[in-house]
Amino acid sequence: MAEPLLTLDNGTTCSSWNFSGTRLATGSAIGTLSIFDFRDPASSSSLRCTFKSGVHDGNIVKVVWVPPEYGDAVACILADGTVSLWEEVAEDSQPLQWKMCKSFGSSSSKVLDVQFGMSLTSLKMVAACSDGHVRVHELLDPLELKNWQLQAEFQNVIESGSAFGKALCLSASISWKPHNGQCQESSFVLGFNSNTSELNSSKVWEFDQAHQRWLPVAELARPEGKGDQVYAVAWAPNIGRPHETIAVATHKGLAIWHIGMNPDPDGRLPVERVALLSGHEGEVWQMEWDMSGMTLATTGHDGMVRLWQSNLNGVWHQQAAFESKS
Amino acid sequence: MPGVASDSGDGRSEVSVSSNGALVPISTEARNSIVVYPLHHGLEPPIARLAISWSRGNSLRVSVFRPPSVEGSGESEGQVGGKVVEVKLSDGDPEISDAQWRRIAYGSVSPFALLQSRRSAISSLSWGSASTSPYHLDWWEYVMEYSKDISSLLSGPKLPSNPIIEDSKTIFKKGEEPTSLKAAWELMELFYADKQSQAWLPERLVDWLADYDSLFSSTLATTHSKLVDFQNVLVNLQVIEDNPKYWEVMSSALAVGWLDIVVKMLRLHGSYQLDQLSNREIENGLVEAVAVLVSKMPRLRPESAAGQLGDCLKSKPDFIKAWEKWRSQITKLDCSAFWIQCNNHQTREGLKNMLQIMLGNTESLCTATCNWIELFISHFLYIRPFTMGVDSMYILAQKCIQLKPVSSAHRLTGLMIGILGENTEVVLAECSREYGPWMVAHAIELLTAGSEHAEILLHEERHNLGGISIVELHRLVYAQVLSSHALTWQIAPIYLTSCMKQGMGLLEILLYKQPVQHNEMLLKNIEICRLYDLYHVSSNIMKVAGVYHWKHGRIGSGVFWLQQAQDAIRLHKIAQQLFDSVGKSISDESFKQWEGLIELLGSESKTAGGLEFLRKYRDFKKSLQRVPGEKSIDAAREAVQSLILLMKNPSTPQRFWLPLLYDSLKLLNWQDQDHPLLNVSETNLLLNKLQELSLARLRPDFIEPSLPPNALSSVRLALATNLGRAMLDE
Repeated sequence: MAEPLLTLDNGTTCSSWNFSGTRLATGSAIGTLSIFDFRDPASSSSLRCTFKSGVHDGNIVKVVWVPPEYGDAVACILADGTVSLWEEVAEDSQPLQWKMCKSFGSSSSKVLDVQFGMSLTSLKMVAACSDGHVRVHELLDPLELKNWQLQAEFQNVIESGSAFGKALCLSASISWKPHNGQCQESSFVLGFNSNTSELNSSKVWEFDQAHQRWLPVAELARPEGKGDQVYAVAWAPNIGRPHETIAVATHKGLAIWHIGMNPDPDGRLPVERVALLSGHEGEVWQMEWDMSGMTLATTGHDGMVRLWQSNLNGVWHQQAAFESKS
Repeated sequence: MPGVASDSGDGRSEVSVSSNGALVPISTEARNSIVVYPLHHGLEPPIARLAISWSRGNSLRVSVFRPPSVEGSGESEGQVGGKVVEVKLSDGDPEISDAQWRRIAYGSVSPFALLQSRRSAISSLSWGSASTSPYHLDWWEYVMEYSKDISSLLSGPKLPSNPIIEDSKTIFKKGEEPTSLKAAWELMELFYADKQSQAWLPERLVDWLADYDSLFSSTLATTHSKLVDFQNVLVNLQVIEDNPKYWEVMSSALAVGWLDIVVKMLRLHGSYQLDQLSNREIENGLVEAVAVLVSKMPRLRPESAAGQLGDCLKSKPDFIKAWEKWRSQITKLDCSAFWIQCNNHQTREGLKNMLQIMLGNTESLCTATCNWIELFISHFLYIRPFTMGVDSMYILAQKCIQLKPVSSAHRLTGLMIGILGENTEVVLAECSREYGPWMVAHAIELLTAGSEHAEILLHEERHNLGGISIVELHRLVYAQVLSSHALTWQIAPIYLTSCMKQGMGLLEILLYKQPVQHNEMLLKNIEICRLYDLYHVSSNIMKVAGVYHWKHGRIGSGVFWLQQAQDAIRLHKIAQQLFDSVGKSISDESFKQWEGLIELLGSESKTAGGLEFLRKYRDFKKSLQRVPGEKSIDAAREAVQSLILLMKNPSTPQRFWLPLLYDSLKLLNWQDQDHPLLNVSETNLLLNKLQELSLARLRPDFIEPSLPPNALSSVRLALATNLGRAMLDE
């Protein structure tokens, strides 16, 4: 049932498949970035390493692919909180190679997670930082991944200007609203795992074209759970449902939220928590929706992969689980 | 939903991942027992972390990482750090190989598509009339045609053909290996689609069991397995009628209506042997009498399958008359005095028992049949040979299950009970659980043809499903299964486009997910987009392809695909890059490349700004390059003409004036002949431009070109000198 695809080198810490599932990027504890490609595009049998190089001194904790509209590129998030962008290019009739095209980082805070999203005209990169700030960088030239500008910086709070002490965030999770090809406004959901309860709860941010600013349009937490630390968020692809679906994992379990399409007069979107599911004991590492947005796969500290679906009556439940076995 | 094992509504938990497709209302007790499957990756513990990613369709890729081993501990080198495995969440029916599944998947496309187009043709015809239901009189005929087409795909492998000389001791033979999938399909066809045979439903069930009885052998005792066993010992039997198995097997076969086998077996009776005939005349007479009665059994059906025995009667009155007569003959034989004269005890008891079966003695039937389905079928033959409604069939089935309880259920029996119970949800759940998404997506057409109730239930749009119907949901699920394989994803669009609400959304995502690196696949994707009018998708695919080629150094393909995608923003950026090389000294090699790009961009694109200028600039640059020494006066004159044209043309951006003039210094300083290359008016034009430029430099938005600091003064000087010479010349 489980078909082996690849054996990874010692010290590999993270992996990420590109959008079409044809290339795998991995990062290691000693700063090695590796790229693997399928030998034969038609089959998904054997992967071969097409690039491997030490790109940093530190530990690569996460690799994120850039959308294919902007080429073959990955962002490496390092344990020291910097992010570097690597791109596969053939420049000036040189052979194809991976080159670093940009590095992001600041002395004051560490980047915990980044995700790329596309707006009408450009590529945006959201970075969630250890001081509780969210930075949105915008690509200036669609053919050059070198030139970025900071488009916005804000805190993950509903009421701007809220006063709280110095925030310390351990982890963050960002998920863009999956784009479906039609022109649409850009939105993402973001939650923190921090010592500051105001920052933690997952908020949906939407870009207000008219005023060129990011606005929180929904908060995905019950009143009693607003301070809960968020482990992971995942925005489901919407193939035509009248609502959006977002999964949020906290220590209380896995919540499935429906977000309505029509904002109220304050600009807030109606939200409804349709399920709170328990399964993973402890931290949830990752959540991924399948291409139809009907099945959610999760993995967490208990070492299990779990699949979640809704039945004909709209009741969410755990459909199956996979236990890692040697 | 997409190929995941599930618990069924009756609380039985599912044990195999191969059967899939959930969507069964989950009962509370079932929810607590989640099936845990092992995920074998071959790594020694400890495991530090897992990472997951959905591939196309419903295969899930899992990366498993071990903690990094400490350097210097001696084991760090060469140690495996992790594994990546792919988990396919739908393996289909274990009875059927992958290749066979793909054959079925491809084969079912055209019957499915044909049925859909007929449905839409009918609904468009009935548009506006009171009835919007597509069910007019002939609809079931279309469904039957569809069902027959699908059914023909499900046949198992053909068994080796029988020898030409028939062995008299071969009691039964089969043409093909039956499959559970086909049995399930035909069962649904019988009950839902085949309206013509509704009157002969019991007889159709008898035939169905005759074809598929062997399938039950895996979990139940069957007449078929008894026959096979008996066939194997038959050759070694000296006196067949003394063997109790002979009578047992024969009565079982009779109970389920396999008349030709029974008659064939009766004729193996020892009393038929020539040397025995004289001593056993009466015994043989009784055997033959039973054989004749068996072969003359009246059947309420239009015709029998080739070579089968029994008298077929189409009309019910005829049948009742024949049935009464036949039974009176049996009773007469039963009461006959010949039995006393028959001194073979085995034969007497065996034949008497067969008469009891034919007379519908419940006890005899119950003993003769091997499982509840056989008992159920025997009722149609000998107890209630007249058409009965599905509801009374259900009651009968329950009675049979009570009489012959089962320890482990077979997957066909679950389906049978669901059908008899007229419970559409259970039928769907059984199909989904036992036969997977292909079956549900296709069998739903039979179900909706079955009754108006099912039609409404399955086509009703449900809020809980995000606004789609059960029919659409199952098509989406099946399409997703198709998408997971490189060889089947191309047929997923057929099913997706038959979904009214969410199919196109999934199709768009599916198309986006296809890699663009290979032109063949790219062209196929674009073709699919064109077929379904998904122009925004194809434009995005071409954009991705364009960027891919551009970044990978295939500039020509890059520009071509970006143009196809009408990506104005990126093309504009490329044109900007070309502008940037204006006025710079560029090598021959890159000039050629640059020139080629202008050609490409110029072919049809109106979007790249200032292209006209670029083309003129190219001509100018070309002629300038042809002035290598200081000899070719014609080339030089040509270059001057290009320069003047460029400078006169309003599309030439002001910021390029100075670079252009600086490029042309050798023309302005032409010393070769007595005459300067530029006449007075031409020189004046250029001087005016220079003057204009000096004024423009005072404006804040002026961009200083990157030229040597003395560029302006050398141009000015050259122009002044040239003007002087030109004036003298004129």
